[in-house]
Amino acid sequence: MFLMRFTERAYVNYTREDVLNSPNEAVRLTFSNSHFDPQLGSELYNMYLDEYEYSEEMGFDGLMLNEHHNTPTCLGATMNLEAAILARITKKPKIVLLGNPLPIFDNPIRLAEELAEIDMISRGRLVSGFVRGTGVESLATNTNPLFNRERFEEAHDLLIKTWTTPGPFRWEGKHYQFRVVNPFETPLQKPHPPIWIPGTGSPETLVWCAERHYPYLFLETDHRGTQDMMEIYAETARQHGYEPGPEHFGYLVRIHVQDTDEKAEEVGRGYMEGNIGVGRVPLPRDYASPVGYGSASRDPRFLRLREQIRSDPFRVGGLDTAAYDDILASNRWIIGSPDTVVSKLREVLAQMRPGILAVWTNDGSISHEDSMRCLELMGQEVLPALREIGEELELTDPFQKAP
Amino acid sequence: MAAEFTEKIVEVGGQKVHMLTGGSGDPLVLFHGAGGNTGWLRYVQALADHYTVYVPSHPGYHQSERPEWLETIADMASFYTWFLEEQGLEGARAIGFSMGGWIASEVAATCRHAFSKLMLVGAVGIKPEQGEIADIFIISPAQVNDLIFHDPKQAPEYDQIYGQPPTPEQAEIAEGNREMAVRLCWKPYMYDPRLPGLLGRVNIPARVVWGREDRLVPLECGELYQQALPQSDLVVIDECGHSPQVEKPDEFVRIALEFLA
Amino acid sequence: MTDVFYFTEMPFAEFPESEAEKYPSMRLTFPNTYFDPGKAHDLFKRYLDEYQHAEEMGFDGLMINEHHNTPSCMDVEVNISGGILARITSRAKILMLGNMLPTSDNPVRLAEEIAMLDVISGGRILSGFVRGIGIESWANNTNPIHNRERFEECHDLIIKAWTTPGPFRWEGKHYQYRAVNPWMLPVQQPHPPVWVPGTGSPETVEWAARNHYTYAAFLTPLDVAKNLFQRYREYAAEDGWEPGPEKFAYMVCSHVNETEEKAQEAGKAFLWRMNYPLRGPREYWSPPGYASRAGAAATAARRPTPLNELSYQELQERYHLVVGNPDSVTRQLRHIRDELGVGTLLLEAQGGQLSHEDTMRSIELFGKEVIPALKD
Repeated sequence: MFLMRFTERAYVNYTREDVLNSPNEAVRLTFSNSHFDPQLGSELYNMYLDEYEYSEEMGFDGLMLNEHHNTPTCLGATMNLEAAILARITKKPKIVLLGNPLPIFDNPIRLAEELAEIDMISRGRLVSGFVRGTGVESLATNTNPLFNRERFEEAHDLLIKTWTTPGPFRWEGKHYQFRVVNPFETPLQKPHPPIWIPGTGSPETLVWCAERHYPYLFLETDHRGTQDMMEIYAETARQHGYEPGPEHFGYLVRIHVQDTDEKAEEVGRGYMEGNIGVGRVPLPRDYASPVGYGSASRDPRFLRLREQIRSDPFRVGGLDTAAYDDILASNRWIIGSPDTVVSKLREVLAQMRPGILAVWTNDGSISHEDSMRCLELMGQEVLPALREIGEELELTDPFQKAP
Repeated sequence: MAAEFTEKIVEVGGQKVHMLTGGSGDPLVLFHGAGGNTGWLRYVQALADHYTVYVPSHPGYHQSERPEWLETIADMASFYTWFLEEQGLEGARAIGFSMGGWIASEVAATCRHAFSKLMLVGAVGIKPEQGEIADIFIISPAQVNDLIFHDPKQAPEYDQIYGQPPTPEQAEIAEGNREMAVRLCWKPYMYDPRLPGLLGRVNIPARVVWGREDRLVPLECGELYQQALPQSDLVVIDECGHSPQVEKPDEFVRIALEFLA
Repeated sequence: MTDVFYFTEMPFAEFPESEAEKYPSMRLTFPNTYFDPGKAHDLFKRYLDEYQHAEEMGFDGLMINEHHNTPSCMDVEVNISGGILARITSRAKILMLGNMLPTSDNPVRLAEEIAMLDVISGGRILSGFVRGIGIESWANNTNPIHNRERFEECHDLIIKAWTTPGPFRWEGKHYQYRAVNPWMLPVQQPHPPVWVPGTGSPETVEWAARNHYTYAAFLTPLDVAKNLFQRYREYAAEDGWEPGPEKFAYMVCSHVNETEEKAQEAGKAFLWRMNYPLRGPREYWSPPGYASRAGAAATAARRPTPLNELSYQELQERYHLVVGNPDSVTRQLRHIRDELGVGTLLLEAQGGQLSHEDTMRSIELFGKEVIPALKD
């Protein structure tokens, strides 16, 4: 099992009132950046980088980053910069980018160059994930949401070709045209860095991944629905002549440990702050899913699944809007002492069988001190136990067995 | 058959347009290519023996002014519908060469009464499925000239056109023309993805003429034009490059007159 | 007080130079099959070590740049290397010279990136903006006819994103946004200092002067640089202000070693970067529409002889390359500084095939002997 550590690198120095007094009561997109204090930002960035360095020491196999725009919930506005820094200041763990929002890029060649540069600086430790970006990303960059999937696919095809076909060549696509594709630098990993795709279960994306043998990483999705979605992946995989295993799937979950259950549950409340919204203010629908962003597919199987995802009680307005106790009781967040966390995770892992576990150790208002203690306990007690469970359940990861 | 034409400046929409005109008979408008207006050559005079020929310089070329809003080939087509109206040339016959073929096609697809007959010669505007349209901006003008001709020796006016180094004034005009071509055709390079679909609307007779050895715009593009234009045929000239009107003027004129009649 | 910055283009010189003869240029269309990512990894590590050493030895700033489709500069993303330097150094200014504005399709993202670096570095970013040489227009397929328009609009939008609280809208000619509101803003107020490099374009000098930005002359002969700076001062005078030395910088290749002999021997490594990487068809360097007619005329006038036609000796005589023992290098750099009145010397102190050992030794000697002597 591949164990990677994640945080959204939140900025939380604003109030519920600030959000409620902002356009559309939204914490993203139009929440004015006059609430941002660069001095504090400077402290936070360096603190989050310290935590990632410490995560390497504590034995995580991977360091996962993500990217969002116009939002205090995630300081990774240009994740590749942080990835470059990690490439230089760490030695061993994979640097897992989940991911670059392809549709918002007007220049996939430049992205191919950036990622190649990171792959080289890290000596081949890059895992390059791609995403469609939330609706907010389309609005923040003014990229027409109607073309989101088309651009995702074309940018992907162009990136892969840039990495694998010697230049110079021309590209005359629908959304991208380049006359001299020939970046001198190409990635260290051949044919190219591994590609993983994260998401909340868009069936079209699952099919697309299965066709390409790309591992799919579920982001906090409900356990039952996740298994249905894995089945969609598996059906496509079988049509392409292979049976997917744990190495084709990942799962992201918030996991926080402290010395005792009581302490952990108290600290864990910090997740409720600053993610989807301070004081749990849901995002306007038009921000999350602007016209045209959603799927045009009318496949009944997909529609059923989409309805199921939509009706997940923990996802109406975001997982964070559910009650804390309910979230804990259903194992959607796993919070407690090392023993509690390990035994709960055994259940979840046995049910979901992911080869990749993304451990979202801290966020929101959880303090640096508590985060560091959490990471320390992870290293001393949780990760070794999870490795044993991984062996026992035969949760092979994409580095043990090529997907 | 002596070359007889006048050079004048007309106004369209408040912009000055430079134009050569001569001959007699029904109107025939020639649309020049990306390099610019090559003037009253032998083939133009041969056509002027049968038609009143108009050779405007596109906005931004030579002494023609570019309206500030004109940045694309589609803008150019809109401008030319205006030009045809103002000059009383609606319903004229038209021949478009290379980039001028693209402009004339856009005009014909935009406005059904603009032309009565349309002829395209080595036209860009449609993206080839197999080959590529050579990138003329990334090579020197001399290299472009090499690519235009299959065999320069068979072009009777080759020395007249290319024999002398350009004067500083001519060089300045050529540079301005090149800049205008870059403005219009940089990206997507020399095609518009919507053009094949729009050409289905063209309800006038059309003829597509191509040099078999065209190294700038592959013959495939001619085939695609012919497939897209409902009432068209394709005439391929053997042993000939991108500019049959210069490289094989007599054969070109014969094919043109046969179609235009 | 003269500030001295360290710079390398991070070249990839790991193939026989003569291979370049087979292609129109070593840039743009020179096949990337000559690239070896394993060697590039070692080089990146080496170049970053050298930057760290330069800070330790007392350079005031670290300069980085960006090019595409060329072995002469492996840094294809100045903000990536800037991010790394922001974290692994603690004192030196980080001069990014610079981000190519016209090829950027998303100035707001660029504003975010630079702000993020300023935030991570605690306010050490000097934000250079460049038009990009013609090759960048080809590699990014950005219409050269709009190069200057896009440069200016992209600049205006970045500055506004940094200085005007969001959200606001931007409906420009080349860029349109419905919610400009990047969460990330720079530490330095009102925004990081802006630097602009130039090799002679008259429009650029004027633009820099009108905006009070620092103008850095790149590999120009001293008399041409002097002339450009003079024009800057005239524009400033027109606007009623007088620029100090901090508004002027000069970039020069330089190598120092213990003895004149050693330095002259090692300094030959710089000939690599003066040669093939500067050759190529006119269309590569200046696609139609890229330069204004006035700019093209100025370019023709600025270097009577192309750098790649100058001998090692001539390159030194014309101050494109300053090589020698500490005394001699100090004397030459002082001469440049005093002639031009610049506040900052940008030293390309690693170039071409200059070895790691020679580079490290040179950084050390600059730090111990040359830089202190320039602080008089």
